[in-house]
Amino acid sequence: MNIYINGIGNVSPQNTLDNSKFLEELVNEKSNTLWVKDPNYKEHISGGSLRRMSRILKIGVHSAHQCMTDAGQKKLDAIITGTGLGCLTDTEKFLKNIYSNDEGVVSPTQFIQSTHNAISAQIALMIQCKNYNFTYTHRGSSFESALLDGMLLIQENAENVLVGGLDELTDSYLKITSRMNMWKTTGFEQLDLFMQEGKGTIAGEGASFFMLGKKPSQNCYAVIKGLQILFKPQNVSSVENTINSLLVNNGLVKEDLDIVILGYNGDHELDATYHQLQSGLLQGIDVCRFKHLCGEYKTASSFGLWTASQILKKQHVPDILKKGEFEKSSIKNVLLYNNYNNSNHSMLLLQHVES
Amino acid sequence: MQELIDKLKLQLIDQLNLEDMTPEDINEDDSLFESELGLDSIDALEIIVLLEREYGVKIQNQEDGKKIFKSVRSIAEHIDANT
Repeated sequence: MNIYINGIGNVSPQNTLDNSKFLEELVNEKSNTLWVKDPNYKEHISGGSLRRMSRILKIGVHSAHQCMTDAGQKKLDAIITGTGLGCLTDTEKFLKNIYSNDEGVVSPTQFIQSTHNAISAQIALMIQCKNYNFTYTHRGSSFESALLDGMLLIQENAENVLVGGLDELTDSYLKITSRMNMWKTTGFEQLDLFMQEGKGTIAGEGASFFMLGKKPSQNCYAVIKGLQILFKPQNVSSVENTINSLLVNNGLVKEDLDIVILGYNGDHELDATYHQLQSGLLQGIDVCRFKHLCGEYKTASSFGLWTASQILKKQHVPDILKKGEFEKSSIKNVLLYNNYNNSNHSMLLLQHVES
Repeated sequence: MQELIDKLKLQLIDQLNLEDMTPEDINEDDSLFESELGLDSIDALEIIVLLEREYGVKIQNQEDGKKIFKSVRSIAEHIDANT
């Protein structure tokens, strides 16, 4: 079953608001925390709605609109989102309010918008979509779960399904995760992430949406051939076997892969699986990386899918993504492999669609 | 009374996240729910929370609420009469 990506939207720490451009003007900050570049939210959201929204709602709704506009499609059979942490800012505010008011009167807005499904609900409300609406919050496989659900719905005859992955940073989250030594602390520019040694990576956030379709549109970016999700595989062989199955099920061998996009995040320990794959099953295949652009977060793989979609449509790989030097005259098959904290692993096989 | 009205305007701007608005933009005699402010039912709940938390004033009757929430001035008069 082919699932087509007919539109994309991405609000991220990079300049990704114009789909006709692909990482042309790079943001390179000397920080271990990558916040999204705020778009002009008023383009898609009325002032009345905007005043109530926290940042994740704004970036989610904006990215969804960007995607729907790109696809030229607002009649949706489903809206599905994946978020590891949900609407964290409003959750924190709501909890603080409960505490400071001694469990008494609390703001209804923060209560309504602190729920994880507030984003997909807000999108549905704005376009008056009363169809299937679901939110997955499965830690590091939240986006993949949403994507899988969307693919299954297309197989069950849905025509157009909007799927998104998104997470936001908050000061409290950074404070807690810093204590867990998740982030590098030495000062360096983000694009130099992979030149750093030791433990830790850089924190990120973002919202990436995709319009899945049963048929390719004129605007089609790529076709999804298969998705596999693994939870805490025993060893690298399990990952290799799953990738092999994905290829075999689609009549491919590893030599058919033109590019593999790996979720390297600069953490010496967490990157070990990628290194082992590169010296094992994926040896000799050209590699791209993306987390120096968007940072690490539970739904960062959605930024990876945005990257794969752009590569396949534009038939071009920006140098900033390349691990090593290579040139491609044509790109047909791309594998995206990501893992979050070495727990949630996912493999996504994509193919170019002739226009 | 004017002091209370000015304080209420600031509190409403903060509680309702009325971005880009200043107290001078709110006429204390204008209707809150049928004016340019465009407040809705969730805002009404927010104002109920504000009055209870900041002034200890509870509004329990829906019909009373309609009269009290007519304008900033009517809210201020209700607070003044009940505190």
